[in-house]
Amino acid sequence: MKARLGAALRTQNTSLAAVIIVGTIVLAIQSQGGFLAPISIRTFFEFLAIPIIIGLAQMATLAVGQMNLAVGAIGGFASCAAAILVADAGLPGWLGGILAILIGLAAGLVNGLLVVLTQINGFVVTLATMTILAGAQYAMVGTRTIQASAWPELQAIGTAYPLGVPLIFWLALIIAIALAFAYRHTLVARQMLASGGNPLAARLSGISNNRSLVAAHGLSGLLCGVAAFIVLCSLPGSNKSIGGDWLLSSFAAPIIGGVSLVGGTVAVLGTVLAAMVVRLVDSARAAFQLDPSWVNLVIGAVVLGTVALDRVRTRRPSATRGRRRPPADAPPTAALRTVERGAGA
Amino acid sequence: MKRSTTIGGVVSDNRFGLVVLIAVIVIAIGAIKPMFYSPQFVVGPMLTSIAIFTVVGLAQMVVLSVGQMNLAVGGMAAVGAMVAGIVFQAFDAPLIVGLVVGLAAGGLIGALCGVIIAYGGVNSFVVTLAMSFALLGLVPTVYGWVSVGSAITVQTPGLSDLGRSQLSDVCFGDTCGPDGIPVLLFVTLIAMLVIWFLFSKLRVGREILLTGSNDKAALLSAIPVPRRILTVHTLSGALAALAGFMLGASTGSFTPAIGQEFMLQSFLGPILGGTLLAGGFVSIVGTFLGIALTVVIRQGLLLFGVGLEGLNILLGLILLIALSADRIRHVVGQRARLQATRRSDTMIAEEVTA
Repeated sequence: MKARLGAALRTQNTSLAAVIIVGTIVLAIQSQGGFLAPISIRTFFEFLAIPIIIGLAQMATLAVGQMNLAVGAIGGFASCAAAILVADAGLPGWLGGILAILIGLAAGLVNGLLVVLTQINGFVVTLATMTILAGAQYAMVGTRTIQASAWPELQAIGTAYPLGVPLIFWLALIIAIALAFAYRHTLVARQMLASGGNPLAARLSGISNNRSLVAAHGLSGLLCGVAAFIVLCSLPGSNKSIGGDWLLSSFAAPIIGGVSLVGGTVAVLGTVLAAMVVRLVDSARAAFQLDPSWVNLVIGAVVLGTVALDRVRTRRPSATRGRRRPPADAPPTAALRTVERGAGA
Repeated sequence: MKRSTTIGGVVSDNRFGLVVLIAVIVIAIGAIKPMFYSPQFVVGPMLTSIAIFTVVGLAQMVVLSVGQMNLAVGGMAAVGAMVAGIVFQAFDAPLIVGLVVGLAAGGLIGALCGVIIAYGGVNSFVVTLAMSFALLGLVPTVYGWVSVGSAITVQTPGLSDLGRSQLSDVCFGDTCGPDGIPVLLFVTLIAMLVIWFLFSKLRVGREILLTGSNDKAALLSAIPVPRRILTVHTLSGALAALAGFMLGASTGSFTPAIGQEFMLQSFLGPILGGTLLAGGFVSIVGTFLGIALTVVIRQGLLLFGVGLEGLNILLGLILLIALSADRIRHVVGQRARLQATRRSDTMIAEEVTA
């Protein structure tokens, strides 16, 4: 079972890696090598850090069978709040960076607590908090852009390029590796996976599902906070539009990366690779001078296709990844449908 | 539509409460700002918003009735409006043809979601979320192809009569209707009537509700559950498209921005109105009242100069409160049902002893 699981994961990641290699070659040929110049490699990775982190933030909630629609709102709110505290209240820049991360964590924990207390689907709860936070973000900054010159310490991080690759990308990679390690070896992360895979079995084994939910939303919020930190480091300023377009890429990376949508699995490497594929599509869009809505169209279609095929793929026993249970709101399938036919419907 | 009296009591209380709340808010705002009663500047636009958002709420409600969700209401509305606009522009089609083709396009997108959900067995919000992403990209791309400046403005006869005229423009001889009531409101009333008829009079509606309250029981009662799930998603797509069409008609042009602010509203209306998230129960008038409440609050705050950002914070808070209320109602309803069973048990016992 374990070997098969590893093999299946390898195929998913291998195909993603193949897409990345082919895409890179095509883009390199199209730009006559310009795509591989140090400066464009830098830009490529600079704008890859945030998609990776927000993809992982979404993955953390998907792992317990939940969703976090507020990914962009938390990130945008945290970055704007920290920016205002630094620029207007005179806080030191490094403290602003830490505050951005902590605000994200706090927002995530509130989401988790609301989900546990109301017992309502995390989707609707985060829809509400998303609206609230996005409104608060706009109320704070209005039409103003807070210039990044107010926090030179953080900007120094954003303009550091060890080994020719931005430091913020290394940071994203380190976080991804830490998460992969955590999901394999730490108790609380294993408990989250157990709760996501089978809540009843988790409860019978003495795991608190509520605690897993709060922890997962907290982790998701924390990662949104990290994304806000990267925004402060790498972008020339903070304004109301930060986070507005994060939702699609946050879902695209884990879904294309092979994270099961009913909970119970994670795929850190897949998420990172899928984020890279999305970034490549965006680069290609720029290279061929197409309208930005093309990126959404392509990524949306790929996500829809992945979701629709996900079920078909998992029905073939050879490709089964881990245990599966039918989604809570899915109609009863095969077995019961036979009953239906038997009943002469 | 009828349930056991205890739950029915709670739900009708809920609707009654909404009416009282709306009345209190309208009187309070009107007392401070008499401008609020201006038929031309406030009441007319407000009723137009209520008309459009109620249809959006119905689009979500029909999916909630089987305990599922449609996150692509905005995208489906955009597609409906877009297709109608293209039909008007390219073929000079009469009003009714554009409307029907637009509704069919929305229904088709909904049906596609429904097929993946019902026969693929994938979670409804994942499918509709992915669909909303695909539409988010598709709609502006198609607008880019067919129009200059990403908007279709057409002069189809009857379109502005439907979207922008008020009852005062409709005259029979010398008697004209009152000012401030948009014609669009009647489109909404027809939609509400059709949905009400479906859920309370038709076999299909009852089957949908039974599917929502217990899909296994429904399946064992020979109800074609997957087909009913397909039905509600198709219906939801068509209703969303109708809302998109209405918005396009009311502003006079079809743009990719149609449907962008539909999602939150689509949940607010049904949830405030007492439709259960878990499925099995719908409230059509409740959805209308829930939407009316949020629109009245919105319009009132706008009059006081509260900006869009403040409105968003408030709408989010209302949704959270409504969710908690939904939860409380659920718990209370369960307890009431439990007591009712206990009471009937004792009654049976008494009868036996008598």
